[in-house]
Amino acid sequence: MNSDTVTERKKLITLVGPPNSGKTTLFNLLSGKKHKTVNYPGATIEYSVSGFLEQYGISAYLMDSPGIVSLIPVSPDEKVTIDSLYTHPDYGKPDLVIVTVDTSQFSRHLLLAKQIIDSGFNTVVVLTMNDLLEEKNFTIDETELSRSLGCNVIKFDPRKPDGVDTLINMLKHDLNAGQLKTQNRKNHTEEDVLCIYREIEELEKKVLRDLNNSSENNPHIAKANRELVIAGHGAGIKIPDSLTLKIDSVLLHKFWGIFIFILIMALMFASIFWIASPAMDLIDTGIHNFENFVNEGLGDNWFSDLLSQGIIGGLGVVLVFLPQIVILFFVLGMLEDSGYLARGAMIIDKPLSLLGLNGRSFVPMLSGFACAIPAIMAARTIQNKRERILTIFIIPLMSCSARLPVYGLLLAFLFPGKYFLSGLILALIYVVGVIISLIVAGIINRYKRTFLNFEDNSSFIMELPVYRVPKVSNVLKNTYSNAVQYLQKAGPTIVIFSLMLWLLTNFPADVKTNPDDVSNGDSVAVQLSESERISNSYAADIGKVMEPVMRPLGLDWRVGVSLIATFAAREVFVSSLALMFKVTESDENMSRSLINEMKNAKINGTGQNLFTTATAAGLIVFFMLALQCISTIAITKKETGVWRIPVLQIIIYTGSAYLLTFLTVNGLRFFGIN
Amino acid sequence: MTVADLNFGQTAVIKNIDLKHPSSCRVIEYGFTPGQELQVVNKSIFNDPLSVSLRGALIAIRKHDARCIEVIIPDEL
Repeated sequence: MNSDTVTERKKLITLVGPPNSGKTTLFNLLSGKKHKTVNYPGATIEYSVSGFLEQYGISAYLMDSPGIVSLIPVSPDEKVTIDSLYTHPDYGKPDLVIVTVDTSQFSRHLLLAKQIIDSGFNTVVVLTMNDLLEEKNFTIDETELSRSLGCNVIKFDPRKPDGVDTLINMLKHDLNAGQLKTQNRKNHTEEDVLCIYREIEELEKKVLRDLNNSSENNPHIAKANRELVIAGHGAGIKIPDSLTLKIDSVLLHKFWGIFIFILIMALMFASIFWIASPAMDLIDTGIHNFENFVNEGLGDNWFSDLLSQGIIGGLGVVLVFLPQIVILFFVLGMLEDSGYLARGAMIIDKPLSLLGLNGRSFVPMLSGFACAIPAIMAARTIQNKRERILTIFIIPLMSCSARLPVYGLLLAFLFPGKYFLSGLILALIYVVGVIISLIVAGIINRYKRTFLNFEDNSSFIMELPVYRVPKVSNVLKNTYSNAVQYLQKAGPTIVIFSLMLWLLTNFPADVKTNPDDVSNGDSVAVQLSESERISNSYAADIGKVMEPVMRPLGLDWRVGVSLIATFAAREVFVSSLALMFKVTESDENMSRSLINEMKNAKINGTGQNLFTTATAAGLIVFFMLALQCISTIAITKKETGVWRIPVLQIIIYTGSAYLLTFLTVNGLRFFGIN
Repeated sequence: MTVADLNFGQTAVIKNIDLKHPSSCRVIEYGFTPGQELQVVNKSIFNDPLSVSLRGALIAIRKHDARCIEVIIPDEL
């Protein structure tokens, strides 16, 4: 039992470690189910805070911190990370710091541990990846290390959680025994780091044990190793994992490397679209049946309309993307856990650096295909401010999954029944999006002084982790929390906008419909009055103001209103078109009946078809380029700290979207394609 | 000569880190310290960045950053 009294402040244990040291795996193992992401005031760093799993019986907060290499900050964000390690604004000073050290990277990872201990923190060092070191026939003497460092040291592999009890007991003991010391913040310089490394090298000689010398199991290797040690450098421990070297000789091969890279990316996107589509259809059908069920249960009145179209329809739009988001995060997680993602960043670094980006821009750009919001947040790993802002700037051009249903609808309208052709065009849309984003990055980088007005040192140094078989349970846990975050973030906005749109299209309800009409089977009369209702609604009033803007694009106020609605979320476009054109409930799926409605839609008073090949193609161009997502604008402002960047994005992207849509529609018409 | 000048597969020993280079601090933190042996094990498609074996780890580093790591080749000792 814990000895905490109610009046006592709940203790804080902070996890610190270099990237790839098993820190987050340890956090996942120890933490309870309720995670909370904490933002630092005025900064963009996010920490996960949680309690301990109940079974461990530790009453304290457990905080995960972003991976850092040392306590010397090189970017403003890193400075906040490190400042907050000393004293967190909300949680105070950590009562205990757990530092993870990958033993196969002993000397490099011990740097951070030494810095933490030297700063006077109450520290526990957890040695991870001991199996990797043992494969090289070495082991660390933790008793000796503990004595030299002056703090508790434990060998523990969070990927194989045997012996977690020993760790827990150690944490309990140190948490209660450790007193809050006054931490002396050292102003570390390059010289200090060099000095710590010299100390570590001495320490390494004391604690590193050659397994062969003690057990004499394999005299040949032992002899070879001894000779290596005698040779001074190149001892067994200094040779990287041999399997990793072999895999790298293929995956980082000059020619095959880029080929495999493109193949992996292509497979990833193929899986996002093809594996997700049956699940998405299932959700779509489920939602539709639920809507029908509600309609049948409540009868045809405004309340059932509100419930089925406003709320359930809105909710469906959110849920439909869940399969894609889950698959994207799962594949990304598997790639990261296997160690490939760092290689991908390395392969793509040179081409991206020519455009003013960085290899580290690669993962954020990739996430941008799922959703710009987590992608923009992921750009925090880019240390260089200019490269980070440039990456954030082009992320909205990556076709996010919210645009997919819009493309899906428009492509189904353009090429009915031609699935292969539609798929090909869809792939083209994605590729063109990437190409445009690279061109934009290149142009902005060229005129960076005008746009970004600062210049600094660009660098790319990154540890390439050892290849490992990904741990599926870990990846699933992260995928789950990302999916929940998506639902929490996107859900409420989409439902609220869906409701607002429903209200705007249904009120003022001067034109009364008689509910008895339905029971009489007189559905034509109902439809007529509903379309009348829409053209008298508030939505129409708003839409008619924008009619002059929409006309040059060959579109009318109804599409205009739907485009405004997309500022909540792009996928709302489809459901709002369905509301605007009053797609009747039927057994057919919604998109098919919507396409029929679209084919019949006429521009008011002209008899001209509203949706033609030209206008549908124009709309695709518009969705490719326009920045029309409030959440993206908000997160960009938050992450860059200035309004200038999102405002520039709106002007450049939405302006060029309008211009290019105009050119597409009228260009196609000029060539006789209507 | 610096790490950026090494050929594929070449082994060298770090002589000095150029502290005037803006990346020097990061380079030292990653374990590039005088006396350490390193080897260029892979080069990316455009010969940049390099993958360097150091202290039992593989580190990807741009040539630009690698220029602050002065090395000597043991045979030339």
